[in-house]
Amino acid sequence: MIPERLRSNLKREFDRSLLAKLGLVLLVGVLLMAVFAPIIATHDPTRTGYVDENGNEYPPRGAEYTTQIGEDGEFVEVEVEPNEEHLLGTNNIGQDVFSRFVYGARTSLLVGLLGTGLAVLMGVPFGLIAGYYGGRVDDVMMRIADVMLAFPSLVLALALIGVFGTSGIGVPDPIVMAGLADGMPESTAIPGTVTIVVALVTWVWFARVARGEAMSVRTEEYVKAARSIGASDWTILRRHVLPNSLTPVIVLATIQVAAVVLLESSLSFLGFSGTTLSWGYEIQRGQDYLRTRWWIATIPGIGIVLSVIAVNLLGDWLRDALDPNIEGERG
Amino acid sequence: MALGKFLVKRLLQGVFVVWGVVTVMFTLRAVSPGDPANLIVGEAADPHLREQVREQYGLNEPIYVQYADYLQGIVVGDFGYSFQSGRQVEAMVIERVPATLELAIAATIIAILIAVPLGVISASRRNEPADYGATMFSLLGISTPNFWLGLMLILLLAVQLGLFPTGRRPVGLAEALTALATTGYATGLVVWLKHIILPAITLGTYFTALITRLTRSGMLDELGKPYVDATEAKGLPAALIRYKHVLRNTMIPIVTVLGLQLGTLIGGAVITETVFSWPGLGDRLIQALNARDWPLMQGIIVFIGISFVLINIVVDALYASLDPRVIDE
Repeated sequence: MIPERLRSNLKREFDRSLLAKLGLVLLVGVLLMAVFAPIIATHDPTRTGYVDENGNEYPPRGAEYTTQIGEDGEFVEVEVEPNEEHLLGTNNIGQDVFSRFVYGARTSLLVGLLGTGLAVLMGVPFGLIAGYYGGRVDDVMMRIADVMLAFPSLVLALALIGVFGTSGIGVPDPIVMAGLADGMPESTAIPGTVTIVVALVTWVWFARVARGEAMSVRTEEYVKAARSIGASDWTILRRHVLPNSLTPVIVLATIQVAAVVLLESSLSFLGFSGTTLSWGYEIQRGQDYLRTRWWIATIPGIGIVLSVIAVNLLGDWLRDALDPNIEGERG
Repeated sequence: MALGKFLVKRLLQGVFVVWGVVTVMFTLRAVSPGDPANLIVGEAADPHLREQVREQYGLNEPIYVQYADYLQGIVVGDFGYSFQSGRQVEAMVIERVPATLELAIAATIIAILIAVPLGVISASRRNEPADYGATMFSLLGISTPNFWLGLMLILLLAVQLGLFPTGRRPVGLAEALTALATTGYATGLVVWLKHIILPAITLGTYFTALITRLTRSGMLDELGKPYVDATEAKGLPAALIRYKHVLRNTMIPIVTVLGLQLGTLIGGAVITETVFSWPGLGDRLIQALNARDWPLMQGIIVFIGISFVLINIVVDALYASLDPRVIDE
């Protein structure tokens, strides 16, 4: 399926680049963490309340009987510093920080991959049609793209969420369903609206790249030949134009996954997320405890940085090996 | 095509884009659920009052009349009234522009001052420790979410070391400069400077990293070209070649990419302002969004769209005068 020359280029670049190897290791690490989150996590990430070393369970802050915990009948927060039971302590409502960190990988990767995939499905056909037909069609379609580009993606995403809200879709967790992890949440929330919104604000980059490629092959001899033997536009687009644009689209898609992960974390940080199990959301929560419990905001940030570095390194590797000239939006 | 004709064409395209932005925002507002009157007077309000408010804000008009009114308003600079405060939207936008502008310019200055020399050094010492250092820095820079970076800077430099203040800035640049001019004291300016450094670094890091990468790869491309050998053969000093000839050719693509990335800068400003309670447009946008204050939100986003279009036209004009080939494309 992959041409021989391409494969040898990819392999040569990979062997030569320490950074590409680092990227692969990091990405596999984050992927494993996301897939096996219920096994790796030590606690149910959504359960509020704190369990101390002796197994005593304390209700979360905010429940009416929390005053019992106080020494003089006063209100005492149940969050704790890291200990044997809670590797990274608990947050302000008694949830295990480590377990939430592990589950957060799921949201980042799901939105990153699904959102980018959706953007490819929207942008590539749009760009191919604009570039292949050219003229009026291209003019109209590219003016639409210009309008999209005039919105900063974060700003447009916020406006769209203002309309559509932030609903998520609960999907049964296969690991828990298979009985591999007891006491973990039975379903994982996919932030559906957020995924669609990130696709709606990033598809235009794919349209630009696909258009450029379509324009360059439109006048090639083999396309003219195909047309002269009576191939329809649809056939030409599918058989000749699309395959030619795949390389730059793949490279751009890799880079865009990084951008989408960052975008999702920004949206969650601002409080617009379809799920509460998200790194950006954890950072927002930790913000208020920066002085006393710095790790609550710090740890999820490291997760984001490592995931984005992994994807960027793989993107650099693909770009070096396949060498298309493309621009995409970052951040 | 002459430069003048090129600019007229770009301006017309710009007008179209602004119309598009306005239309998209109006459509979003029209399809958003909920009665705006509830947002203004509350759900429990007296029906007569509600009706009065609907009348006052033009909400009883057919949708196309509302659209025409809004469009007409934008043309003459009337962005309507905020649901929440009842104030004129354009005033609420304009008063927040200086803070955002100060932040964006400070970030850009930091980015260019650090990134260009770093990229040049990185390219001229390819595969040496300095190059690896710069590469790692730029990789980290483009991979770090700026809100987290901002929090980490606050944690380390403001909370732990006490080098910078936390909390909202007490004074803007204009006020600080006025104080300096009238009283001769620079205290206000120092306070302003102390408050802007961390947000500017937060917003600027991504661009520093991006420009470093672009400068490095652009320089490497250019250094391989025959004219470099020719200037070397003529005996020109290496530093002169690098900074005068090679860097100048490298800057052209960098300017283009920066024009395209302007949206990222504005998006970054929104979130940086939230982290640092910076009294700019982004901070106000988030407030408007949380209050579902559509006229304000719409006004801010349309304003951002107009600025984006204008700045890009300026960039294009600069670019076209640097490299006339662009005009024919």
